[in-house]
Amino acid sequence: MRTVLAFRTILPTFTYHRPSSLAELLELKAKLGKDAAILAGGTDLLVDMKMGVKRPSHVIDIKGIKELHVLEYKEGSGLIIGPTATLRELETNSLLKEKYPVLWDAVRKIADVALRERATLAGNIANASPAADSAPALLVYDAKVELTSINGSRLVPLREFFTGVKKTVMKENEVITKIIVPEPPAGAKGEYFKAVRSAEDLALVGIAALVANPNNPAERVVRLAYASVAPTPVYVKEVEELFKKDEPLNKLIKEAVNIVLSKVSPISDVRATREYRLHLVKYVTAYLLRKLLGVK
Amino acid sequence: MKAYKYVGKPIPRQDVSKVFGDAIYAYDVKLPGMLYAKLVGSTYAHARIKRIDYSKALKVPGVIRVFTGEDFPFKVGIYAADRDVLARGKVLYYGHPVAGIVAETPEAAEEAAELIEVEYEPLEPVLTIEDALRPDAPLIHEHMEEYRHASFIYPRPGTNIANYLKLRKGDVKKGFEEADVVVEGEYREPLISHAYMENWVGIARVLSDGTVEVWSSHQSPFAVRHLLAASLGLPIGKVVVHHTFIGGGFGGKAGLLLEHIPVLFSMKLGGRPVRLELNREENFLFMAQRAGYLFKMRTGATKDGRLVAHYGEYYLDAGAYADYTVNIGRSVGFVPTGPYEVPNIHVDSITVYTNKVPTTAFRGFGMQEMHFAFEQQIDQLAEKLGMDPLELRLKNAIVPGKSYLPTQVRVREDAGDPVGTMKRAAELIGWGRRPEKPDEPWKFRGIGIASFWKGPVQPPNAASSAIVKVNEDGSVDVLVGTGEMGQGTIYALAQIVAEELGIPVEKVRVAPVRSTDSVAYTWQTVGSRGLFSEGQALMRALDDLKSQMKEIAARVFNVFKDEIEIKDGKACVKGKPWECISLAEMALGYTLPNGNAIHGPLIGRGSHVPSQTTYLDPETGKGEPKPFMTFGTSAVEVEVDLLNMRVRVLKAVTVLDTPVINPGLALGQAYGGAVMGISITLNEELKLTKDGRLLNPNFTDYKVARAGDIPTEMVAEFLGVGQKNAPYGAKGVGELTMIAWPAAIANAIYNAIGVRIKKLPITPDNLLEAIREQRPELLKELDKYLLGGE
Repeated sequence: MRTVLAFRTILPTFTYHRPSSLAELLELKAKLGKDAAILAGGTDLLVDMKMGVKRPSHVIDIKGIKELHVLEYKEGSGLIIGPTATLRELETNSLLKEKYPVLWDAVRKIADVALRERATLAGNIANASPAADSAPALLVYDAKVELTSINGSRLVPLREFFTGVKKTVMKENEVITKIIVPEPPAGAKGEYFKAVRSAEDLALVGIAALVANPNNPAERVVRLAYASVAPTPVYVKEVEELFKKDEPLNKLIKEAVNIVLSKVSPISDVRATREYRLHLVKYVTAYLLRKLLGVK
Repeated sequence: MKAYKYVGKPIPRQDVSKVFGDAIYAYDVKLPGMLYAKLVGSTYAHARIKRIDYSKALKVPGVIRVFTGEDFPFKVGIYAADRDVLARGKVLYYGHPVAGIVAETPEAAEEAAELIEVEYEPLEPVLTIEDALRPDAPLIHEHMEEYRHASFIYPRPGTNIANYLKLRKGDVKKGFEEADVVVEGEYREPLISHAYMENWVGIARVLSDGTVEVWSSHQSPFAVRHLLAASLGLPIGKVVVHHTFIGGGFGGKAGLLLEHIPVLFSMKLGGRPVRLELNREENFLFMAQRAGYLFKMRTGATKDGRLVAHYGEYYLDAGAYADYTVNIGRSVGFVPTGPYEVPNIHVDSITVYTNKVPTTAFRGFGMQEMHFAFEQQIDQLAEKLGMDPLELRLKNAIVPGKSYLPTQVRVREDAGDPVGTMKRAAELIGWGRRPEKPDEPWKFRGIGIASFWKGPVQPPNAASSAIVKVNEDGSVDVLVGTGEMGQGTIYALAQIVAEELGIPVEKVRVAPVRSTDSVAYTWQTVGSRGLFSEGQALMRALDDLKSQMKEIAARVFNVFKDEIEIKDGKACVKGKPWECISLAEMALGYTLPNGNAIHGPLIGRGSHVPSQTTYLDPETGKGEPKPFMTFGTSAVEVEVDLLNMRVRVLKAVTVLDTPVINPGLALGQAYGGAVMGISITLNEELKLTKDGRLLNPNFTDYKVARAGDIPTEMVAEFLGVGQKNAPYGAKGVGELTMIAWPAAIANAIYNAIGVRIKKLPITPDNLLEAIREQRPELLKELDKYLLGGE
């Protein structure tokens, strides 16, 4: 363990790779494994490298791989987002705003424009911060992550992707090649609430809420997901079941809030206290549900 | 204010070089053969250093030397020389520099830095004011009695007290007996950071003739020169400090910063240039920050609303080195109340050492913090008296010419207009109205007001000077020592020259980049004193220049000197505007038709020293502490949102009494001051772990207001009530514009939700906690609205 504080101004040395095809990338990743970090936007990686949190000997820049730069929507099958699509590209996409308002709302609330010009959605997921703003939004849309290695691809539901603080199910030789966001339930609306300390901040608590067909219990869809309330982003699946019940919405909201409170375990840290986070989870959840369900 | 051609006009500032990228900052200075220094910090807040092993660091190719504290067995500092160059024997705070590496490249220095090993013997860290004052507290400075300090600083060796100031006025016991209502409170502010944009950088070299040259990011070139010479035993004439543009200071770059480190390293390395450049994390840990505060106050008033007594124990948490902060302890001690006449005052202001990052001056020099406490006392007294808080303020406001300062000196007759600022600020915020009720039942609006005063805190003999030279084309160069850090003083000075000589302001140049060996002396660029002090010196230099112009013209036109007047850049015979000589014609002296030349180059010189200020009595504080006080009042309308527990400032109003030379620059200060003040109120705090580690040495978690946090509406006005000896009446405004926001916002929050916040910052966490303690029913109501209650 180091016995002095030494803060770097200059990045430590590493070998830089810039493959131009996916095949080349997969080969590199197979060869170098965890010694190689993937660089897309770099907004997390480069900070971690300066701070000494990560010291990869190799950095693989994937921005030169054209086939990974994808942002497309197909009626019925949903949205496909490649790993080099920037947050700014998502934010300025009118289709995203219309079809996936919760995701759009979350993306536009990440940091500031300058950062969103560089940062990618896949990076936000791969970094696996409990505070990742895009995660709760992707969770309420039931997004899937395509992980690819030299041995082939697999599709992992985002709800099974995160395993701990900055930990995921990704293997050493895998890279994210797609994020697939299925077609949302018909008529779904929603928003992403982000508690901040100043106009641009990391989420003290993030809450994604999606609601469809509020007045028809059988068809009703209510989904809630959270950032910065547990070691990983949290999707509260019990809420969706609960709202299928044909009971007064006021009562269901109260029950939903209690379920959510039993599923989160916020801590006190440099950004906020546990008490404040619980206050937000409790009342902002209720506020969003009332608003989206049309309860006066 | 009388109509002038240049003074009082919002002339755009001339330093477009910043916009176009050709402004030179210390960061831009690179010298041939320059070496790179890097500091490493301690991982403990308080520990003995048992061993430092830098053998591995020395093996990194390009590394020249590694220095430790033992290489420099002496202290440096300004008011109390309590600083080691690098930690010696003990580390006093988390991040305390323990070693310095010098290498041929920055890469080598950074690689070597990570290889330094230190063995510590941990000591109990002293992390709060209360702990520092415990009789059995560990001593942070064990040999305080050996420290050199200014004569007006009173340290207490054998304790953790770095300075103890006493202020006594009237009879406080009798005062409280007279009081019908008494308000008591404890107010706290945490350590915060200046968060200036430009991290500190310093470059030094020693020339073969022994001249020490320094380029650095500093506010006050002459203070750097003086303190370097005094601390290192150098002849002052052999120290040259180069002043460049600086990217913000806010007090954090006053005095001597870390310049002595590259100087000393260079001295040990044959004079080769050494550059020490801090990154953001290092700047948070190696540069001094702002002290923490604890105010314990008791204030009494009579039924009819007369303030009669004030008792206070004020504590400053100075961190490991109190150097500059001891003087802030004086500042809040001898101006311990707001701008009111209080006949009986008893205040002890105590600056204590703790095992935290060292602290220094900060915009407002303690006055923001003191007013945060005192202006809330006023509102609470008003409530107890059933009186309007504005009325209570008006009733007790300082009356120039009649009132006495807390330091028992009569307030000069032309001191300003505190009442005027109170009335105007109240008008601008719409005092007395009930703010609009937002649609959401969990949002509340309130209005708050706070008045304030402040003048520079400086030794009584803090001097300034100015030189005015005329060039061949009639343009003018002004040489002054004050630093330009964005506040624009030098451009206001240019306007004064233009006005006095009647020449276009474009013909006046006050160089922003200059050196101590080629400009006129000034003490420091601090305390909002620049324009007031340099301005007076400059006015005298211009008088001197004009007198020379008149002399020449009198000889040429064969009239008496008093028959000449200066107009439109010319010296003319009164009543005969066709008999004139222009500045250009006499710039280098005037040549007569036969070739005889008279006088030689025009050069005006002027000096200023605040002749009326005195030392203060050590037992009572009696004396004249300040050459001027600027008075003002700020008012805000806020919205408190109980759902997310955030406070939003909707409207911010500030009114100062003084005239200003350039209203554009002054408004810039006012808007910047408001945003900074609001940011400090709502966000800023250096957060420590229980063992004293700084958790947020970065802008990810040290939160500073962003563009989106700027209030919807900001209004600033200057009433134009000047002080006679000030240049065009103008007193300082720089710090004043940020002093009252925390107090005004806290008062507005109380007005909105009936919760009294006595601790900064007012973050959502702290607001929730305060509501739970003081008005839990507000949360019950929220619960009822959103969840139907229990």
